[in-house]
Amino acid sequence: MEQDAQLVQQCLQGDGSAWEDLVRRHSRRIFNICYRFTGNGTEAEDLSQEVFLRVYRTIGSYRSAHGGFATWMTSVTRNLLIDHYRRTKRDRITDSLDDAMPVVENKESSGRRPDEQLLLGELSSQVQSALTKLSPELREAVILRDLQQLEYAEIQRVLSVPEGTVKSRINRGRIELARILQQMGVRPS
Amino acid sequence: MTWTCEQTEARLSDYLDGVLTGAEQTAFDAHVNACERCTPLVASVSHLLSGLHSMEQIEAPPRLVYSILDKTLGPRESGWRAVLGWVRGVASIRFAYGALSLAATLMIFVTASGFNWRHPKVADLQPVNIYRNADRQAHLVYARGTKFVNDLRVVSEIQSRMREDSGIPTTPESTVPEASPEKQPGRSDGSQPSSPKQQNRANDITRQLEVLAAEMPVFAGRLSGAAIARRVP
Repeated sequence: MEQDAQLVQQCLQGDGSAWEDLVRRHSRRIFNICYRFTGNGTEAEDLSQEVFLRVYRTIGSYRSAHGGFATWMTSVTRNLLIDHYRRTKRDRITDSLDDAMPVVENKESSGRRPDEQLLLGELSSQVQSALTKLSPELREAVILRDLQQLEYAEIQRVLSVPEGTVKSRINRGRIELARILQQMGVRPS
Repeated sequence: MTWTCEQTEARLSDYLDGVLTGAEQTAFDAHVNACERCTPLVASVSHLLSGLHSMEQIEAPPRLVYSILDKTLGPRESGWRAVLGWVRGVASIRFAYGALSLAATLMIFVTASGFNWRHPKVADLQPVNIYRNADRQAHLVYARGTKFVNDLRVVSEIQSRMREDSGIPTTPESTVPEASPEKQPGRSDGSQPSSPKQQNRANDITRQLEVLAAEMPVFAGRLSGAAIARRVP
């Protein structure tokens, strides 16, 4: 955290290598958030680039008093993901209509790279599929808490909602996700 | 404490996080064990949580970092452009000072090893020649230093003798033993040398002093004729 603050200061002084260090330190985490939210590798990559582009442009507005740099970056990522979700809502409705048509296509593999299939285990793959069926507000809460292991206070800062709402969303998200998995035929062993 | 299905659902995360009080925990367990609806719910959410926590972070594509850096810092240069970029990077004043001092140090070492800058030869850079030249230079420096120290000693001796003659007391730092102005060379008790051998020694020293004073004009003026005449019988 201290190192992040120092790198940010160096970035503000025009140090390109400090920015490169920041990108290397956070790119994997940001990519994972984007991937878990969208369930699509290509989209996650594009969104990660957009996140860093936005962070690069607005890094001067970051204040350490508002929390760690990682939390601030997660907040930027979350806002961008919600924007992306709203922007592509119409496309998804069209896609779901297309899916309803009798087309011979494996829905599980659409938009996913072969190496991603190898990376995800069976349960992970099923959980990932279930995540994308969750509403965005519940999805982001579950991702931040159970996949990114953030504390409730950090999630509260990222989502800009009271802690009670954070807890409620996480709880509802977990229950909803479990139900989706049950509907998918995944039963606890 | 009575516990309902709604409470179970609402407090499920608290139960899984282990933040329920003792009484709540007991009531929760009692209800879940007896409720057909809540038992599978708790089991499935617990299973889900273990699945979520076992999900590892995915490796980001290697090109992601480079794409981000290209979009933010600009495209990275390659080939001769990268070399030029590197040269531009080191072309700072700090680097120039460092390079200059390194070059000066090298020049001093090469010159000290006897390398002739006017007529440079490749043979001079051979280790054997460098060693030989360095050895020669070191001996020369030593010989010059020794000569310089000896010269200083002679001058110091002359100065002390002149002070003796003119009655100026010598400084405590003087290396030459202090002698009384009345004392004459050849005797320690102040009496005139009696034997011809002693007289010759005194005359010899006086002559040497005259020769040195003539060679060094700085001291020549201070050697008054009277002072010297006193020595000459």
